[in-house]
Amino acid sequence: MASLEVDRVHIAYKNVVAVKEASFTADAGQIVGFIGADGAGKSSLFHAIAGVLRFRGEIRYEGHAYHSPKEAEPLKPYIGLMPQGLGLVLYPQLSVEEHLKFFANIRDIPQDKAFQEYKKKLLHMAGLEEFPDRLAKNLSGGMKQKLSLICTLIHKPKLLILDEPTTGVDPLSRRELWEILDQNRKEEGSLTLFSTAYMAEAAKMDKIHLMDEGEIIAQGSAKELIGSARPYTYQETHCQECITFNRRTYSLKPLSVPHAEPTLESLFFINALKKGKIPPPVEVLPRETQIDIPQIVMEAKGLTKRFGDFIADDHIDMQLRRGEILGLLGANGAGKTTFIKMLLGLYPIDEGELYLLGRKIQSPKDRQQLKSFIGYMSQNFALYKDLTIRENLLYFANMHRLPLAKASERIERLAKSLGFWDYMDNFPKDVPMGINQRFSLAAAILHEPVVLFLDEPTSGVDTIARAQFWQLLHKLKRIWGISILVTTHYMSEAQYCDRVVVLRRGKKIADASPKELERRFGTDDFEEVFLRLYEERR
Amino acid sequence: MRAGVIKGYMQKEFKDLVRTRMIYLVYLLPTMILLLFGYGIRLEVTGARTIIIDQDQSRFSKELIDKFTHSKYFNAKVLLISPNEGLHRIKQAKTDILLIIPPHFEQDLLHGQKSEIAAFIDGAFPLRATTMQGYVEGVILHAAKELAQRFGLRHPLITLNHRALFNQAMRDENAIVPGLIGLILLVAPALLSALLIVKEKEMGTIFNFYSSPIKKSEFLIAKLTPVFLLHSINIFILFLWATWWFEVPFRGSFWLYWVASELYVLISLSIGLLVSIVTNRQIVAVVLTLIITIIPGFLYSGILMPISSMVGESYIEAHIFPVMYYNHIIYDTFLIGQGLASMKNILYLAILTGYGALLLFIGALLLKKELR
Ligand SMILES: Nc1ncnc2c1ncn2[C@@H]1O[C@H](COP(=O)(O)OP(=O)(O)OP(=O)(O)O)[C@@H](O)[C@H]1O
Ligand SMILES: [Mg+2]
Repeated sequence: MASLEVDRVHIAYKNVVAVKEASFTADAGQIVGFIGADGAGKSSLFHAIAGVLRFRGEIRYEGHAYHSPKEAEPLKPYIGLMPQGLGLVLYPQLSVEEHLKFFANIRDIPQDKAFQEYKKKLLHMAGLEEFPDRLAKNLSGGMKQKLSLICTLIHKPKLLILDEPTTGVDPLSRRELWEILDQNRKEEGSLTLFSTAYMAEAAKMDKIHLMDEGEIIAQGSAKELIGSARPYTYQETHCQECITFNRRTYSLKPLSVPHAEPTLESLFFINALKKGKIPPPVEVLPRETQIDIPQIVMEAKGLTKRFGDFIADDHIDMQLRRGEILGLLGANGAGKTTFIKMLLGLYPIDEGELYLLGRKIQSPKDRQQLKSFIGYMSQNFALYKDLTIRENLLYFANMHRLPLAKASERIERLAKSLGFWDYMDNFPKDVPMGINQRFSLAAAILHEPVVLFLDEPTSGVDTIARAQFWQLLHKLKRIWGISILVTTHYMSEAQYCDRVVVLRRGKKIADASPKELERRFGTDDFEEVFLRLYEERR
Repeated sequence: MRAGVIKGYMQKEFKDLVRTRMIYLVYLLPTMILLLFGYGIRLEVTGARTIIIDQDQSRFSKELIDKFTHSKYFNAKVLLISPNEGLHRIKQAKTDILLIIPPHFEQDLLHGQKSEIAAFIDGAFPLRATTMQGYVEGVILHAAKELAQRFGLRHPLITLNHRALFNQAMRDENAIVPGLIGLILLVAPALLSALLIVKEKEMGTIFNFYSSPIKKSEFLIAKLTPVFLLHSINIFILFLWATWWFEVPFRGSFWLYWVASELYVLISLSIGLLVSIVTNRQIVAVVLTLIITIIPGFLYSGILMPISSMVGESYIEAHIFPVMYYNHIIYDTFLIGQGLASMKNILYLAILTGYGALLLFIGALLLKKELR
């Protein structure tokens, strides 16, 4: 008998079916992966298993059958759920240390010596042992994510349910997280359910489930799943009714070019082809306003930010040239968001000089004048939950003082070309992450800026939406001549950047084109490059 | 129930309240409402222009007139004009009140017969008119009582509403401040308890409750106890404002005031709990709580209208909401002081207890450890 048996679980919300008769089994000690597009039903399925959501069907864990949250109650001491969302389960006003204490308290864990040891280990894993007193609201995005994770691990759950725990988490920490999970399953025999958008991570799992539109459409080991994609994967070419991405072309009909080796990502594209959901090409129309853009759009000289004794950004020099996509990489808490916030004037600059569009920034007035040339998308897509997408966009247009008629026209144009026109009257929470991401981008470029600052725009967004997003950025760069500063934790995305700057603990440790760096370390896997760069400096 | 779990959760609640500065609101809001409304709703009218037509010219009528001329609330003149002329002056807004003492006034009273004094009041501003009416009735009642005592008359001559009856000093504060306490202690705890739960729903931290083995009872105790304790202090603060600042007399038992108020706070935070169960957004919770507490809180507080003068539906409604019961008790403790000697107070205390228990029970029943 398997440890966990999910038997025809069906979950319906008011008028949508989130999960359709999903069944699977898993054994103790396994790490079981769930991948799929946004809105595929992974989170709903996880919530049902964790006993926090009503469902139809039956779930059995270690012989205990349950059909409702109420019946699952006796199992809760053994379950650990980390829901999706940046720092969702954290209290902004509590410190790191207080969080661990709180989670131990509500689980009624004796806080003895063994517990202190374990806590230290977790803090070390999350790279938070240096900041036990920092309030959650002052942690970086990835640090929040890691704190949530260790809070979920504090009671050593036997059934660990992690919903995209690595979104926004840097490659180093992802590796450490993996070690912890591995150890956990060996020592405690825990069963881990894990959803992720990083396919490299999924490849390490014992079993993977591919979900789409509420159904588990494929399951097996990474090898088996990749094998199933082989017949449809070709080397890059041009053709009708196929999708080309990342040097591969996918087609259901045989093509005359040689096959290429698929990856787990290939599954998404092939599934889209099978469902006839070939993503429409995103378009970018020429900008309405024409302006002269200087050769160097942004220049930072020794930019520094301190929070008390802590130096978040330490004398950083950076240049952003006209029509360039610059990737800003770095571990969690390296100072990327802080840097962008200084550029925007959201944090005062403690030291150093900043030039935007050739002008030195000295007073808020300088910024006011430049506001219309800058677009910004924040780490958690700062949208208003109570406004529909259309209202949100109108609101942003209004902020940039666009006249209503012109604003409506531009919004319509953007919505249609970026492919979210059908969602205009929905609330942000009701649409897939990828749509939110594109409409946030629309909000950022509504006033046709010449420079864009994007903070982790692709975190938590599914593979296809991410692929489209990068195509979009490239078109913007080509057609609008816009310059883009973008942060990401997907190291594979570095290859789409013209140049990357790597930060480590607030200091710049690299500034080169991705190709150069790959050559230097003799690998074409940028994740490898990143890890080696960090090790060099240790 | 595990004390460690409750304590852990409660500590977090207190830290959060202090660090988000919400604690200021807990203590500033009630005081602010009391000061604002205590001064704001000034019903007091002084020096109302009064014309008295004395058609009796007797000892009794003279004594009655004296009461009016010696009161700061009236600026009374006895005029020898016709009733019609007097009414005309009200219409011209040259006077606020016209009193006509009928002929044979003294004789009728001495013979134990009813006598009617005609009182005309300018109703241009209804609230002011009601107040003036209360004053007029108060003065007449007072005089009637005195006369009755002096001459050994038995029949009650005039019946009056409670407020004018017990608020002999006819100070506005005495009437309004206890009513405001009833309003504040209904609104503030409900608001806080609703927010404490809905905030977690909105942020997502509610998952920590849903997915952990915390029992519903533990969660409720951890959530509601801080609200209860914090607002218990408000019971004392409001009492001090009322008695020291507004100089409202306190004639009854402090214990009764205290116990009834704690019960009332319990009812209020249960209302907040119910609101938090049906809402998912803080702003909605705030608005909903305000609507369901302020409106009945005001209507049935006795500030606007004495309950006894309500009829039909509003009379029944007044009895559905807890406000009336509590207000009865605290008006008693402040202004009358019958305390537990009055069966009505005991009954109302029992009703409040039952009310609180019922709401809490419903809340605990409806609270679910699941997303919706
Ligand atoms: N207001 C603040 N007070 C104290 N420390 C802060 C504050 N804001 C940020 N920090 C700290 O500054 C450091 C840099 O944070 P920042 O958000 O820039 O990181 P990041 O590179 O964007 O990380 P991530 O990849 O996780 O988003 C972190 O250690 C963070 O905790
Ligand atoms: Mg960041």
